[in-house]
Formats: sequence, structure tokens, C-alpha cells
Amino acid sequence: MAKLHGARIKRQEDPRLITGNGNFTDDIKLPGMVHARVLRSPYAHAKILSIDVTQALEHPGVLAVYTGKDVNPVMQPVPTSWVVPGCNIKPKPRMPLAEEKVHYAGEGVAFVVAEDRYIAKDALEKIKVEYEELPAVTHQEDALKEGAPIIHEDVEGNLAFDWQPAEIEDEIFEQAEVVVKQRFYEQRVVPNPMETRGAVAQYNSGGGEMTIWCTSQNPHIHRMVYSEVLGIPESKLRIVAPDVGGGFGAKIGVYTEEALAGYAAKHLKRPVKWIEERSEHFLATNHARDEVIEVELAGNKDGTLTALRVVNTANMGAYLSTMGAGVPTIDFGLMITGAYDIPKAAVRTYGVYTNTTPTDAYRGAGKPEATFQIERAIDLFAHEIGMDVLEIRRKNLVKKEAFPYTNAMGLNYDSGNYQLSLEKALEMANYEELREEQKRLAAEGRLMGIGFSTYVELCGLGPSKVAGAIGFQGGLWENSTVRVHPSGKVAVYTGASPHGQGVKTTFAQVVGEKFGIPIEDIEVYSGDTGSIAMGWGTYGSRTTAVGGGALAIAADRVVDKAKKIAAHELETSPEDIELKDGVFQVKGVPGRQRTFQEIAKSANMAWDLPEGMEPALEAQSFFDPENFVYPFGTHICVVEVDKDTGKVELKRYIAVDDVGRVINPTIVEGQVHGGLAQGIGQALWEGTVYSENGQLLSGTFMDYTMPQADFFPEFETAYTETPSPVNPLGAKGVGETGTTASTPAVVNAVMDALRSYGIKDLEMPLTPEKVWAAMQNRRELV
Amino acid sequence: MKLEYSFKFSEPREEVWNFLQDEEVLRNSLPGCKSFEKDPDKDVYIAEMGISIGPIKGIFHGEVKQLNQEQPAYYKLKVHGKGKPGEIDAAADMFLEEEEDGTRVDCKADAQVTGVLASAGQRVMNGAAKLILGQFFKAVDQEMKKTAGKNA
Repeated sequence: MAKLHGARIKRQEDPRLITGNGNFTDDIKLPGMVHARVLRSPYAHAKILSIDVTQALEHPGVLAVYTGKDVNPVMQPVPTSWVVPGCNIKPKPRMPLAEEKVHYAGEGVAFVVAEDRYIAKDALEKIKVEYEELPAVTHQEDALKEGAPIIHEDVEGNLAFDWQPAEIEDEIFEQAEVVVKQRFYEQRVVPNPMETRGAVAQYNSGGGEMTIWCTSQNPHIHRMVYSEVLGIPESKLRIVAPDVGGGFGAKIGVYTEEALAGYAAKHLKRPVKWIEERSEHFLATNHARDEVIEVELAGNKDGTLTALRVVNTANMGAYLSTMGAGVPTIDFGLMITGAYDIPKAAVRTYGVYTNTTPTDAYRGAGKPEATFQIERAIDLFAHEIGMDVLEIRRKNLVKKEAFPYTNAMGLNYDSGNYQLSLEKALEMANYEELREEQKRLAAEGRLMGIGFSTYVELCGLGPSKVAGAIGFQGGLWENSTVRVHPSGKVAVYTGASPHGQGVKTTFAQVVGEKFGIPIEDIEVYSGDTGSIAMGWGTYGSRTTAVGGGALAIAADRVVDKAKKIAAHELETSPEDIELKDGVFQVKGVPGRQRTFQEIAKSANMAWDLPEGMEPALEAQSFFDPENFVYPFGTHICVVEVDKDTGKVELKRYIAVDDVGRVINPTIVEGQVHGGLAQGIGQALWEGTVYSENGQLLSGTFMDYTMPQADFFPEFETAYTETPSPVNPLGAKGVGETGTTASTPAVVNAVMDALRSYGIKDLEMPLTPEKVWAAMQNRRELV
Repeated sequence: MKLEYSFKFSEPREEVWNFLQDEEVLRNSLPGCKSFEKDPDKDVYIAEMGISIGPIKGIFHGEVKQLNQEQPAYYKLKVHGKGKPGEIDAAADMFLEEEEDGTRVDCKADAQVTGVLASAGQRVMNGAAKLILGQFFKAVDQEMKKTAGKNA
């Protein structure tokens, strides 16, 4: 049988999805189902003086109109689930509906349930809300100023937290030969999965059980939280994430609308569906990034880096969303030195409340921001001392011999070979020739630029004891069950809840490899708390590293038991049995064998099992890794900037990633491609704009640029394989590498193209208008 | 959103002033005006207007207030409107300048909007607002021509 691990196998999930046979939340239709809509605040900051729902209730087809007064006393607030310790954190409970005051444009004020979704939408117009508008503040630096509008009365100065895990003596910077300082603004972006959020809730008033189908990346976390919010025991609450059309972090978060659907279903004794419109999604689903990052990088004229100090002023929005506080602190702050051996580092992060949609994790979550600042700063440092940006990287990248390497913030990088990926990328790019081409074009007056990103990121979340220490209100182990049916067909259940990552395929490959059976014989199930014991979901590039780890262990346990049964039937000892190509074979005695299917039948029939053995062939594992994993790589971006229009043309993009052992190269490439689109999107096109009074101006796809396939050149991808020692598969995680690495590679390339103008930095997105204006403002120095 | 707009009338300043203050003229000239009545208690006009800005269409209910009148040179116009697509809060300084062959009206406005008007309409709002103002002044001009015709 051909080897499955490492094989380019087509995604098993695709036939049903591309033939329209998927089952997304909005596809679920239950008898008697009714439809909900949310009335959202038009103001970013206002007192609610009165709400009159009389006319809406009289609207034909309307079953109920709930306001904060109705639901807040009988439901619990949605909590902040990452309570970062030691930073005087002030999370604000998020009530199901705003009652006294609205804190951002789009905050829910009323919840209407009607016979269909159009009636519900019409009824929204009949709710009369009287507001008293208050001054609003949308930018974090403004919100920290004296006299700024106060978002939450008891949070002084709008400071949600002040996190400073380490400091450096000023002398190090004062005495350094070279210090570069730069302020970066990592602009706010909106995660836009193809499927917006939604929920269908059904309650059985006889038994008190509730099922909520919803667009979740982590149904067990949603169960844990909604159980409290709704007051329904976890044992009676089932959360199902059916097919989920992408999440990118935005569906980790626990929100109010899904819980309100649950409440309404219980109250009305009818199934309730709520589906978010795209324009609603822009307002109501977590945004991301929005961090002002000030960097000081110190070192010597020979290019040695000695210290890094970073201050991050992060816009948290109006509430500390589910994982929001962890992003600019733990995820960002502990990774600021990136892939470089910088002996000293310090970070301080201010989390700031503003009158904007809350921010939370988005593909990479903190690591893209960390990578951006160090990759940009190291280029600025190289320019300052007149060194090539490649040479400064070669000089400072953590050496292969140093692993496991502890960075200046105390994180232990599991394994790596940064030089290998760098050299491979240079070879693919034909770097020397690129620089020659750049010179030739410059002579013609054309602006070509080459940008690097030699990154490392923290993935595979992660050891649960670390989760506890950093205030993450959950575990980070993972669970897998492998169940062998009497026929020898296999069902795999994973607590990681994939939603587009191709895990039905890769997990089947892992099990197929272990058992020697074709992947067609293996079905992977996920997303249902009713059939899966427990799990923590898909985010932080953890599914293969942690969930796959649990899977490998469970599969090995099945093999162990199967070998005992085979040994019993073949009258030998289990040590003398080997499993090869789906056959249990007595070593050295050809023909004395049992097939995998025969053993499956024996185990399940249990007519003749070894003394004391329980029937069936099934194993479960709860795997908690000892460390995070640290994927890394080198990305090289080549651009040309049009002198007349400022338009950035992506000429080439080379990505060499090391994501540990690769199970399916095609799926890895798909993950890299998607990540690149999002990371490059941030560099060049995406950006959220608020008006002064807190209105979201970029609230549609007409105003917010979603990258499209034809924006990109053919990506040139490759990988190196440095196994991780911390999980059985040696996997490192690939979901976020593209997003993490690409943003600075693109900006570095554009800045390289603009060097002759003396332009050091521009704020993203690098739109033609911005680049053109910058070129007009500076005389070309050549 | 800040906006400046100028319109040239061929009539003298006093005459333009009177027309711009006239309830009937306003009712006939406001684009998409469905109703326009003076609230006798509050010295404001209660208006209902159908507005279309790019992809956004809707009926707006609101109040129109004219204040700080310095006849015939200046007045302030305040509009507060509310409709399905959001809310509009606008204040405009209206300057009437005498010119050789008539009167120039300069309008300097500042408007705040909410809801879909803000999230989807902002890009086209400036253009649309100028269009609406243009339609308004042209309609007032027509009213003046009509009246002049009748009086002649």
C-alpha cells in the first residue's frame, strides 16, 4: 500500500461542499422554526433613554421583541475568557442586550423574533429607541488622553489593562552604538469568512435539553460559556458546529446573539434561527489588530542586535472580547524578538477601551503584529548601519545548534533550522539575479523592491498548565477517539473542530497510515458536543499538533489491542505480531495472519477474546503537549511600484515554510495560499475606517477591499521539514504562517522600492494613493 | 462630512431671501419632499423626504430649523432626519452675497450620519448631497421664475 503520510491526497471534504451538499447553519430548517433579527445601535456612544416596542409587537407575524430589560435579568453576561494576570485587567461583562448605554455602533439593543426573517427585519423599524448621543472616541491613543469620553464609568482613563512582564534598564539603550526607533500602526482589519455568523436553537420543554447549531470554531468552549449564560447544565446543552464556512479566529469568540437565539427558543418553545447579514457582520463580529506599536531596537554597528523594547497600545474596542486581551499581550509580547537571538527584550502593552467593535483573534493573533514590528525594525536597523537586509538576518537568526532555544521573553522554541529555509528561499528566488534586475530597472527609472520576512511563530496551543498560568479560561489539550466498527471501517472523533482546514483528509491519512487501510475506510467527525467527549477547538494552528497528537496516540492504542487479539487467535504473543499494510502477521511466519477487518470483527463480536479483555475496538486519548510548537520560514516578496500612480504590483512571492512533518503537502500549500492572501491583504488593501463620531465607514465590500485571486501572482511555495519534538506527529501547524510572515515581507519590499525617495515607513494599507502621495512629498534622492 | 456648494440666482438678494424663507417654496423645492409643515409651537418645520444616496434609499422624517437670521445676508439651517438607513444631523451656514447680476448663495455644511448611511453611503454622500442641493436651488429658481412670470 502506498504511504499515506506525506501524500498529496485530494481533500475528502470537497465533493460534498462543491456539489452544494454541505450543511451549513443556515441550511438547517426545523419544523416550526422562527427567525430572529437584532436591532443595533446607530450610535457609537449614547444613553438609551427609552425603548418602545409596542408597534413592533403589533406588526403581523412578530412573536416577540426582547430588550435588555427582558433578558438581562434572566441571563448571565458573556464573559471575557482570557483574563491575563498581573496587568490590572478590567473586563466588562457583556450583557445580552445593551440596556442603559450603547458603547459602539452595532451593539445589540433589541432582539425580534418573527415568522420569517423579512418580517423580523421590517419589525426592527417599528421599534422606537430614544438615545442621548454622547461624545465617542475610536482611536486608542485618543481614548487615553485626558478628558477623553469615558466608555465604562468605572474604568479610569479607558485603560482596560497595563501589561508589563519585563523591563530593561535605560542604560542599555543609552549606551548602545545604534538604536533605531519607529512607530508602526498595525491597522484594524475585519475577518471575513465566506459564511457569516449564525445560530439555530431548539429547546425541548419536556426534558429541558437544548441544542444550538452555530458557526463555531470551538463548540465545547461555546457549550461551557452558553451553559452559564443560559443557565442550562452542560449535560443538557448540545452545541453543534455543522459545516462552517471559515472562521479565521472570528468564530472562536463567544457572542450574545447565539445565546439570545437559545433564550428565545426556550421562551417561545419554537426553534429560533438567527443569521448575520454581511453588513451586520462588519459591525457585530470581532475585528482584529488595531495596535500602535513603538519599537526601539539597539545593537552594534557590525549588525549585532543587543536589545529590543516595544510598547503596544492596543485598541480592544468596547469590551474585552473572549480571547481579546491575550492577543496583544501573551501572543504578541512573548514573540517580539522573532527568529533572532536578541539577548534582552522588554514589552509593555496598554489595552484600551474605545467606542468600536471589540477586537479579538484573527489568523495569527498577535504573532503577525509581533513579526511585523521585528521584521520591519530589523530592516530599518540594517539601513541605519548600511548593512544588507539579508546579511543582518544571517548574522542574527537563531543558529540551528541553539535549539531548543529560549528567547529573551522566556519562551522555549522547540526546534528549528532557520538558515536552511533562508538558503532555500534565496535559491528559489535567485536572489543575486533579483538584485541585478533591481539595478537594471533602477537605471531605467523603475522602482523594484525586494522584501524579506524570516519569521517564527508560536502555534499548537498548547500546554494546559501554561494556559492556566496565562489566564486562559480553558484547557489546551485535545481529545480524539478512534472507533473501529465490526466491518473494519473506522470512525474518528476529534475535539478540535475544523472548519475548512482539510482535517477530514489529514486525520484520515494519519489513521490510514497507522492501520494500513485506505482512507476511504475512515470517516472523521467533529463539531458536535453530543458525540465528542471534549475538546478545545481549532485555532492557534493547534489541530494537527495537538488534536493530531491525540489521534496518533489513540490509533496506537487500537493497534496495541488489536495485536493482542490477533496474537490470541494466532496462538502467539503480541510482541511477535507486526501490522503491515492492514494485516497482522506473525513475524517470520508467512500466511499466519489476520486482516485488520477480521480483527475488527473479532473484537466487536467478542466471541473469543483474550482472558479479561473488554469487547470492542476503540480507544480515546486526551493529549496535552509539553510545549508549544514554533513553525518558521523565509518569505521573499518582489514588487514594482509604479512611479506615476503609486500602485504596488506584486511580481513574485516566495514562501518557504517549515511546519514540521507534513502530512499532506497539497493541504499545507492551500493553507499557505489562504494565509498569504490575508497577510498581503493587510499590507496592501484592507483597512477599517471609522468616522470621528464612531461610525464604521468601511462597512461593505464596496468600501472594504477583500483580496481576490487575481490580485496575486502565482505563489512559489516550498517547505523544509524540521520535526517538532513535542507531539507524536512532529507537526508544527501551518494555518497561520502565511498571514504571520507575509505582511512585513510585502511592506519591506515596497520600502525597498522607495528607498531612493528616502521613505522609511508608511502606514498600511499601502494603497496607490498613499504611496503616490508619499513619493510626491519627497524628492527622489538619486 | 463637510460640504461647500454655491448657486447663482439672477434675482436681487431680498427677493432670494424671501423665497428661501417661504414655507410653500421650500415645500415645492425640497427634492423628494412628501410633507413639510410648520410646527407652530417649536418654530421648526416637520418634514418627510424621500432620499436616495447611491445604493441607499429611504424615507426620512425630521425637523428643519432656520435660525440666526440676519436678513438678507445670512441664516443657519439645521436638519435632523431619521429613517431606515440611519440618521442625518446637519448644520449649514447659508450666506447670501449680492453680485452685479444677482445673488450668490454659498452653503457651508457639516453633516454627521449613522447606520447604513455611514457604512455604505459615505463614499457617495458628498456627491449625492451636492446633487440634492443643486436640485433644491434649481427648484427654488424655477419657483422664482414662475412667480415672476405670474407677476409680469
